[in-house]
Amino acid sequence: MQKIIVSDTPHVRSKLTTKRIMLDVIIAIVPALVAGIVFFGGRAAFNVAIAVVSCCLTEWIWLLIKKVPVKDIFKKFDFTSIVTGLLLALSLPPLDYKYFYIPLLSGIFAVGVVKMLFGGTGKNVVNPAVTGRVFAFISFLGAMTSGWIQPAFGSISGEVVTGATVLTDMLAGVRPTLSNLDLFLGTGVTGCIGETSKVAILIGYIYLVVRRVIKWQWPVIVVGVTGLVGVLLNGCDFTLFLPYILSGGLIYGAVFMATDYVTSPANNLARYIYYVLMGVIIALLRKGTGIETVSFAILLMNLIVPLLSLHVRPRPFGSVPFGVLVKEKFAKLGKKGGKAE
Amino acid sequence: MKITKGKRFSGGTHIPDRKELTADIPIEIMPSPDIVAISLSQHIGKPSVPVVNAGDMVSVGQLIAAEGGFVGANVYSSVSGKVAAIEERYNPNGTKSNYIVIENDKNDWSAQPLPEMEDKTAGSILQRIRLAGIVGMGGAGFPAAVKLMPKQAVDCLIINGAECEPYLTCDYRLMKEKTDEIHTGIMLLAKALKVNKVYIGIERNKPDCIKAFSEYDDITVVDLKKRYPMGSEKHLIYSCTGRKVGLGKLPADAGAVVQNVATAYAVYEAVELNKPLYERVMTVSGKGIIHPKNLLVRNGTPLDMIITYCGGMRDDSAMMIAGGPMMGPTMLSSNLYTTKTTSGLLVTTSDEVDMSGPTPCINCGRCAEACPMRLQPMLIDFYAQANDFEKAAKYGGVKNCINCGTCAYVCPAKRSIVQSIMLSKKKLAEGGK
Repeated sequence: MQKIIVSDTPHVRSKLTTKRIMLDVIIAIVPALVAGIVFFGGRAAFNVAIAVVSCCLTEWIWLLIKKVPVKDIFKKFDFTSIVTGLLLALSLPPLDYKYFYIPLLSGIFAVGVVKMLFGGTGKNVVNPAVTGRVFAFISFLGAMTSGWIQPAFGSISGEVVTGATVLTDMLAGVRPTLSNLDLFLGTGVTGCIGETSKVAILIGYIYLVVRRVIKWQWPVIVVGVTGLVGVLLNGCDFTLFLPYILSGGLIYGAVFMATDYVTSPANNLARYIYYVLMGVIIALLRKGTGIETVSFAILLMNLIVPLLSLHVRPRPFGSVPFGVLVKEKFAKLGKKGGKAE
Repeated sequence: MKITKGKRFSGGTHIPDRKELTADIPIEIMPSPDIVAISLSQHIGKPSVPVVNAGDMVSVGQLIAAEGGFVGANVYSSVSGKVAAIEERYNPNGTKSNYIVIENDKNDWSAQPLPEMEDKTAGSILQRIRLAGIVGMGGAGFPAAVKLMPKQAVDCLIINGAECEPYLTCDYRLMKEKTDEIHTGIMLLAKALKVNKVYIGIERNKPDCIKAFSEYDDITVVDLKKRYPMGSEKHLIYSCTGRKVGLGKLPADAGAVVQNVATAYAVYEAVELNKPLYERVMTVSGKGIIHPKNLLVRNGTPLDMIITYCGGMRDDSAMMIAGGPMMGPTMLSSNLYTTKTTSGLLVTTSDEVDMSGPTPCINCGRCAEACPMRLQPMLIDFYAQANDFEKAAKYGGVKNCINCGTCAYVCPAKRSIVQSIMLSKKKLAEGGK
């Protein structure tokens, strides 16, 4: 007989593992990745490859420096760095080959500084991919905003984007010329690698919901609130609702970035508040700056997550019902008032 | 014929029940063992006080230890023979308590069953339950008579036939084979409690039991969804009556008393057959056991004898569990003994149980979503790891935890959340709060 094992309860566990969840996220990203490569060709593939390799290597080298045995490094590798690399690359514009150092450095920053420095998987305060993108955006502003190229498929409506992106046009007050269908399919839309084709993101979203990695409400709240507040801020023109949510990186960010477990509150009540606030901030920042601000809004919201997690909690099963609690408070106030008189 | 659907509580999870190993195997009477060691702390409350000495001859059903206080229980000999020793031995959970060790002479000589009852009033039934040493046989082992004398006004009795722990089928077999006897026991319990409303909650994976009990007009069968931890007192009360037991309150505060089906059967035996509680049905299961069985075993039977009786262990057995796999402790050796509350003995192979170590928490929130008490297990785990138990109580709500283990079951990072919870509770109790 082999060794008898003694452990803590429960002795049966669900089959789900962190690795499996991360694999599901990777699978969900694949449609957006394929769409990006089809639309923007070799440049897109090149950027993604650099970012993923850079992220994974950063993690491994970090662990090697920390003298973790090589065997353990591969055993404990949970795919999170691949996810970070993919999400980061897809949120970058299809940069020219000469800018290879941008995905490389942002990958190193995302995993090295944002994740490993804080203790690795699960310990990071802000989303590594989002922070990597913001790092690239601030550090290489010129390259990041000049790299827009037309996708392989022209728009169905026959129009061409005149400004940098549809969103920047729209925020500057120009009505979008592209049809909503174009914006949805990504045909003729300039933008970052992964965010142009909403239909590809939607496939990933459905996969994540079906696999129960995320709840369907999460991205819907972010997108819905952003759209509503955006419409209200732009003169209550509800015809702008669809172009407003379909352009820019909103849907991409809402599906893949905002749903990140580590950097959002763990209980659903706090999560819903988090997403509503995030939607409001995205719309306000878009209005205030005139550029796409989803990544900055997510970054800002990440910072208040610990507060939300601690202070917004559901009441335990069997607590005094909220209504009764309020009534008792009022009854007490009434008594106090009575005494004063 | 009354069947109602159970009310759904938030949280909980679906766990593959793996009951097929023993569900169709009838209860078998295990031959009495050569030696028994009967624990004096088989219940919650004061340990029982031995009334026999080493060297005394005892008969089956003879009182060998009397209740040590109001919250206590009598203990009866399960075999006839000579008391070899009264000594400290290990309990399955690793603690120690006193045991009366009896060498079986295999005469099965029963001298003095409990006296015939003159009348069956509420008072006399209660007295009989107390005398027979009946405790809650679902696992907690709270003296049944004490539970049936609540200080608050109670208007319903709920019988727990949920059996939500995977593997275990002892309650199922009992309900199937002894339906009439259990029904009689339930009505006796209701009489002792002076209530008219009687519910029996049975999980949907036991449709034949739901049907069998729906034949009686005086009890309402509650058809419960298969969901762990359905058998938790608080959640069973909610499912059956829609009432919530307040935090830190007793079921009686919600007007309900919960008893297990096995307890109801023991009450039937004590009242109708004048038999004290000295044996019970338990499930011996798991892939590591050659012939899984439902056994009627005598109190104090050594576990290794049970394993031998069931054909022994497979070579690749990895873990021995006393009770169910969700809440039962693992055992280091089989040199331990059954008690009034031993509902199961599992020997599992390594592919049945999870033995992967913990990985970092990714804050996915599945534990919080699955927690039937709506607590924040990830915060308890986080603060317990940081030795900040006050915060584990403040933000995680560890004091209201029912130890069901659902959080750790669903955790994709396989964290030892229950261990953190136990540690927090212990440290908080030591801190005098």
